[in-house]
Amino acid sequence: MSCLLKDIRTGERVCIESIEGGGAIRRRMMDMGIVPGVELEVVRRAPFGGPLQVRLKGYYLAMRLGECAKIVVTGTRQTAIDKIPHLEYPLASR
Amino acid sequence: MKIALVGNPNVGKSTVFNALTGSNQQVGNWAGKTVERKSGIIQRANQTIELIDLPGTYSLTAYSQEEIITREYILRENPDVVMAMIDASNIERNLYLVLQILELAPRVVIGLNMLDLAQSSGITINTAELALALNVPVVEIVAAKGKGIEEFLTQAIRVGTLPQDPLPCKVPYPEELERKVQTMEGLLADNIWATRYPLRWLSLKRLERDPEIGQEWKINVSKPQQSKGKEQCCDLGDGASYELEETTVLPGEDLLQQYEAEGWSKDHFEMAFADAKYQYISHILPKFRTYLNPTKPTWTDSIDAWVLSPIWGYPIMFAILGLVFWGSFVASAPLGGAISQGMAWAAEVIVRVLQWAHAPDFVQSLIRDGIFAGVGAVLAFVPQIAIFFAFFSLMQDSGYLARASFLGDRFMQLMGLHGKSFFSLVSGFGCNVPGIMATRTLEDPKDRLITMLINPLIPCVPRLGVMSAVVAAFFPGSRGTVIMLSLLILSMFLVMVSALFMRRVVRQKERSAFVMELPLYHMPTLRNVLLPTWQKTYSFLKRAWTFILVASIVVWVLSSYPQGVPMKATWAGEMGGWLGFIGEPLGFDWRIMVAIVFGFAAKETTLSTLGILYGVAADASQSIAQAMTGAMTPLNAYTFLVVYMLYIPCLASVITTYKESGSLGWTSFGVAYNLILSFIMGWIVFHGGLALGFH
Repeated sequence: MSCLLKDIRTGERVCIESIEGGGAIRRRMMDMGIVPGVELEVVRRAPFGGPLQVRLKGYYLAMRLGECAKIVVTGTRQTAIDKIPHLEYPLASR
Repeated sequence: MKIALVGNPNVGKSTVFNALTGSNQQVGNWAGKTVERKSGIIQRANQTIELIDLPGTYSLTAYSQEEIITREYILRENPDVVMAMIDASNIERNLYLVLQILELAPRVVIGLNMLDLAQSSGITINTAELALALNVPVVEIVAAKGKGIEEFLTQAIRVGTLPQDPLPCKVPYPEELERKVQTMEGLLADNIWATRYPLRWLSLKRLERDPEIGQEWKINVSKPQQSKGKEQCCDLGDGASYELEETTVLPGEDLLQQYEAEGWSKDHFEMAFADAKYQYISHILPKFRTYLNPTKPTWTDSIDAWVLSPIWGYPIMFAILGLVFWGSFVASAPLGGAISQGMAWAAEVIVRVLQWAHAPDFVQSLIRDGIFAGVGAVLAFVPQIAIFFAFFSLMQDSGYLARASFLGDRFMQLMGLHGKSFFSLVSGFGCNVPGIMATRTLEDPKDRLITMLINPLIPCVPRLGVMSAVVAAFFPGSRGTVIMLSLLILSMFLVMVSALFMRRVVRQKERSAFVMELPLYHMPTLRNVLLPTWQKTYSFLKRAWTFILVASIVVWVLSSYPQGVPMKATWAGEMGGWLGFIGEPLGFDWRIMVAIVFGFAAKETTLSTLGILYGVAADASQSIAQAMTGAMTPLNAYTFLVVYMLYIPCLASVITTYKESGSLGWTSFGVAYNLILSFIMGWIVFHGGLALGFH
């Protein structure tokens, strides 16, 4: 069941499936660690429709709803991040 | 020996750099860029080492200024070794950068910082295993406490003097990709460039169609100035400039086009390489990192629960901003006053000496009323700026600034700006000079330029002071509050409109992406706060003092000559009369025009100038304003306030804009924009008021 990151509720953990669009925004996300296959948790939303704060791999990022609308995610089981046994994530289709 | 210090932003590089170089730093700008360049000289065991603090960056592609500078430095200036600092609590993302560095520069030493912070998040790193996995020496540091820094440097020197390049780990790419890389390697193996750079890196970049490879650059490095006395810091010249000598097109064009036909564009390659690196990192991660979900929340989580809460976040932010403003602009007033008095006293002393030496009157007047008055007025607000910078460094280092940007981003979005512009604009209320300098946190140069250009539209404390005095005189009681509010709302509205307009002018096509890191909170060290404060204040003064001196002398000359004639006949008066044709549609007489012209040098002197022009011999701004009620109608006063609020920032902020933007063209555009906008608004207000029946 895929949905967009911007629709995820606070406290939920999701896994990134793919990132839509391209260009500078996508590269920036990539540099910051937002790539298909990572798990992240939505920590909070800024009021008045402001940015989203997410936690991934032990650090926090803030992204505008516009950017979050480009990230397609799926739900994930609630497990501690490092206890997942070694998985092969295939290269997601671009 | 040349050593480069590299790492993500917020990882503690400046702490290490400051600890190693102390005050032996040189701060300038990278050639053609508006990013600070910091270098320092260190002596260790008969070795002279030049240490360069490269800007914090997340990656080594070629898209942001920081990335370009880091790459350019490593490619063109060939440091002997790279000191890579990484953050233990953030290690995957940091390793992404390290892997890119390793592809380009084989001599690397890793400094692993913030292990204590990572511990509290439940993360433990096995340093030995990390070193083994990457085949790179790893040194544990606690930068804030100064631990391990010396060891870090020692290891770096050791690696820098190795006879042969070490063989760090190679990122294994998926089979199909690896084949393509090797095919390209085959084509480039005989090329001369393969002797200069690692072959694998060269072919990766060729597949990405990187514009930088194949270019031959000559480096003109300005020699670090020999210390003239104790202060060796803050040299303001450009550190190094590069000249393009020649460009060779590397082979492989046919191969690239063939790949493109198969669907492997350069973007595709970029993504594939990035993806492969992240995959490799998650593969080796379990070897050296263990993660247990912590039972209790970290400090950062607890603080953020308040600071970013929907109910308390904004009040807390206003409280903090209020504290910063109070500390910078109110509590510092005694210091500013002391400086003014000191300047006046010094002027008196010099005048007395001149009298004794029978110097002519005009020289005495020049010294006292021209130079000392003008320069003194600006020096008096240096304590404000210095204290503000200290607060700013504190907020930036501690991590709070990112939270303020998070909260303010929604409003910035309305204006097409980035969340980080929020603090810069808010600072403008205190003083435009630190507001403009605060734009350094913005990564996109176009965002930076737009924020700089609209900053002067925000009325600063000196302007607000004059405005409130005039408002109180002309609109007593609660009407005054309404008028004041209307002026502020007008300026806010114009800021928003101007931001949107500037985006067109600056030609920003893509809205800047807001993907920002919220670093973990940590206590900034005293050195990290005081050293940049000193550097920024000193560099501002150094650039500004000549302009201010000249401006003060010019103002004095214009208002004193020809001598012995009534005000109207002096050059200043003539000028005001001549400019009267501009002021007429707004109902301004020549006196107001003169005051407006002189207000350019320093805003707070506008009222005293007006006082002189209207023949009012009074000190307090209130009494001057009172005296003006006889000479102007309330509508006149309101029009004047609108124009005064907007027309031009003070000389100091124009200089700052020039220095921060590096462009005379844009600075002039900003000044012209302010002038034209203010007079148009003044005209609208005046005639609108008349039409509505006010007077």
